[in-house]
Amino acid sequence: MATLDFYQAGRSRVHGWNPVTKLSLSLTLVVTAFALPVLWWPVALLVLVLLPAVLASGVQRRFLATMSRFLLPVILLLFVIQGLFYPGGGQVLLTLGPLSVHADGLLFAARTALRLVVLTGSFLFLLLTTHPGDLMTALVARGLPPKISYVVSATLQIIPAFRQRAQGILQAQRARGLRTDTGLVSRVRALVPLISPLILGALSEVDERSIAMEARAFGSTARRTSYTVIPDSTAQRLARWLMLLAALTAIALTTTGVVS
Amino acid sequence: MITVDKLGYTYPETARPVLREIDLNVPSGQFLGVVGPSGAGKTTLAQALAGYIPHVLGGEVTGRVEIGGLHVVDTPLPDLVTRVGMVSQNPFNQISGAKFTVAEELAFGLENLGVPRQDMLIAVREVLRRLRIEHLAERSPYELSGGQQQLVALGAMLVMNPDVLVLDEPTSQLDPAGSRLVFEALGELRSRDITVVLIEHKIERLAEFADRVVVLVDGELRMDGPPGTVLAAPELVEWGIGHTRFTTAAVRAGGRWPSGAALPVTLDQALAGFGGAR
Amino acid sequence: MSIQVEDLHYTYSSGTVALQGVSLSIADGERVAIVGQNGAGKTTLVRHLNGIFRATGGRVLVDGQDLAGREIAELARTVGYVFQNPNEQLFARTVRAEVEFGPRNLGYDRARRDELVDWALTATRLTEHATSHPYHLSLAERKRVAIASVLAMDTPVVVFDEPTTGQDHAGVRDVSEVIAQLHARGRTVIAITHDMDFVAENFDRVVAMAQGRVLADGTVHEVFADAEVVAGAAVEAPAMMRLAQGLGWTESVTTVERFVAVLAR
Repeated sequence: MATLDFYQAGRSRVHGWNPVTKLSLSLTLVVTAFALPVLWWPVALLVLVLLPAVLASGVQRRFLATMSRFLLPVILLLFVIQGLFYPGGGQVLLTLGPLSVHADGLLFAARTALRLVVLTGSFLFLLLTTHPGDLMTALVARGLPPKISYVVSATLQIIPAFRQRAQGILQAQRARGLRTDTGLVSRVRALVPLISPLILGALSEVDERSIAMEARAFGSTARRTSYTVIPDSTAQRLARWLMLLAALTAIALTTTGVVS
Repeated sequence: MITVDKLGYTYPETARPVLREIDLNVPSGQFLGVVGPSGAGKTTLAQALAGYIPHVLGGEVTGRVEIGGLHVVDTPLPDLVTRVGMVSQNPFNQISGAKFTVAEELAFGLENLGVPRQDMLIAVREVLRRLRIEHLAERSPYELSGGQQQLVALGAMLVMNPDVLVLDEPTSQLDPAGSRLVFEALGELRSRDITVVLIEHKIERLAEFADRVVVLVDGELRMDGPPGTVLAAPELVEWGIGHTRFTTAAVRAGGRWPSGAALPVTLDQALAGFGGAR
Repeated sequence: MSIQVEDLHYTYSSGTVALQGVSLSIADGERVAIVGQNGAGKTTLVRHLNGIFRATGGRVLVDGQDLAGREIAELARTVGYVFQNPNEQLFARTVRAEVEFGPRNLGYDRARRDELVDWALTATRLTEHATSHPYHLSLAERKRVAIASVLAMDTPVVVFDEPTTGQDHAGVRDVSEVIAQLHARGRTVIAITHDMDFVAENFDRVVAMAQGRVLADGTVHEVFADAEVVAGAAVEAPAMMRLAQGLGWTESVTTVERFVAVLAR
């Protein structure tokens, strides 16, 4: 299932952590990285926290591959644009005809790039090591409305199911001689037989779907219980409080101007 | 226990009623088969029993449907779901989407009702075993075949232990062994006093497993009685419902089927009748 | 048109093995039923016949030609395939336009198209619904629209995936009638089904599958007489065969017709 592809099953200790702990870690990393205007801080977070966590969970290959695919082009663009066009200027490092590269621009680009790496990396780490179902279960146990959890879970699953159905429709119509490979006109013409069964099918199923949810007492006002128990520990609870404290401290230090 | 009194139903924005003057009493623990040609209103009847008509699908209801003394039309759906569960034709649409494994999917209804976890574990394990789908427990319900999804949809209702279970062709995509297994599981529900209402085209299975069969034609109940009597009635052919092969064989056998003996609808009856024929 | 399946293997990209060495030879004009457990690989097998699935091992030949590398849309001329779920193919505003879609794609001229569409609608008892919107019909009727839409393509081979699911007695009789007409026109008919009486009454040959392999291949009587095959493929013998066996008959009996004939001796 493509949407679930991020999650990489494993038996590491990190996989076993409560999803809320991992979510807290990701949020703390992001908040402090953005709050503290110190250039080396995101580097410290990456080297001392995020990379060890990624290595400990054994997802480093997917982590690095996905990070470089998403971030490299963005970072490259960031350096080019900010290096050349950053307002203000500062020391000129290099002149290329009418263009000049400014130190301030590069510094700004580096700061933003590092923060982006922490932001993307933190959440990628969360997604790679946490099954979305477990995350939802853990969040509902902490008061997330079940309807929100349902929307997230259903979207994650129904989209791939619909993609599969779209594939089925394509096959069915090709088996009826529909050509989708010869030029723009035939491709456009092929859209109707491909898209309308998908839409008509989905519409005709709306009633049945809502019935199915009612039949499972989704509208019940009872206090919900949970079949799956997500393990937690005192150490993790403590860690989460400490992380909250760290995030608040970082915000306080910045807003009071202690660190600037 | 189900009490249906002069039930009539017309879908929204249509003029012709789909159900007319239906009277039907089904005692607790009875296994009732519903047969009829396509378009006779069988699915509509099932939806009326489960309260989806009019609560979800709208339309105009006349008459009365009572389940265990609860007036279906006046009872909000969440209060009905512990009394009556329904398994409909398309298993894909019955997967909640809220859960990522079959075991969790089965537990979903119980979670919503706030059933304690220990009881859920027992109930889910029991249903997995009964339907022989233990090996699917950790699979995603979306990765299953249509037949397997039918078993999950049935299991999701069984686990809620309703007083009445309404099923609309629940084994249409199952292999014969799987379909027999489901019928056996439904038959066992008698011992738990659960009422089963089953819409089915496979009349040979109804002949073997049902306590009683009603015939729905053109929105009206035309016949009601034990399977042996109803399923052998000559009118069934004309109504497009047909007979079991055993019945047809006895009809075609003419004088070789013992005179005076009732027409057979099951293998055992056919064996008994034809036993001395040659 | 003949079909050869040689040591066919298929493994899904997820790693699930669906077929592990299926060999099958189907002659021109044969009527072959494929039966077996849910998940035995029946659908995967027949989807190789028109190129929807590509063998990960072995090969498939239709009329002596290897299917490898040939387009689905091109193979549609030879092998018609009725999918199990009609909702995955119906799109047109009228039943007639839906049925005409295939023959139009195949480039048949107007006169031939009209003739084929008329025949297909009559064969599936849909003539009176020709101008209806397919989505205003019942699921059972939509299923017959899907059958008609493939019939009208006039292919030498027609494959049905569970054509009787959800059909009432009359609907099953219609499908039987369609198969009889195809047979009379010399077509090769292949169907996946869970209805063993339907198999006995409409097919010459049965292929029983389990776990991605062919468990048995022979006449209806041969295949269902083997208790191990019946159990392994999760099927049941046809009603009349069980009756004849219970009566201790030694004759091959699989249908009511045959039962009554033997009884009359």
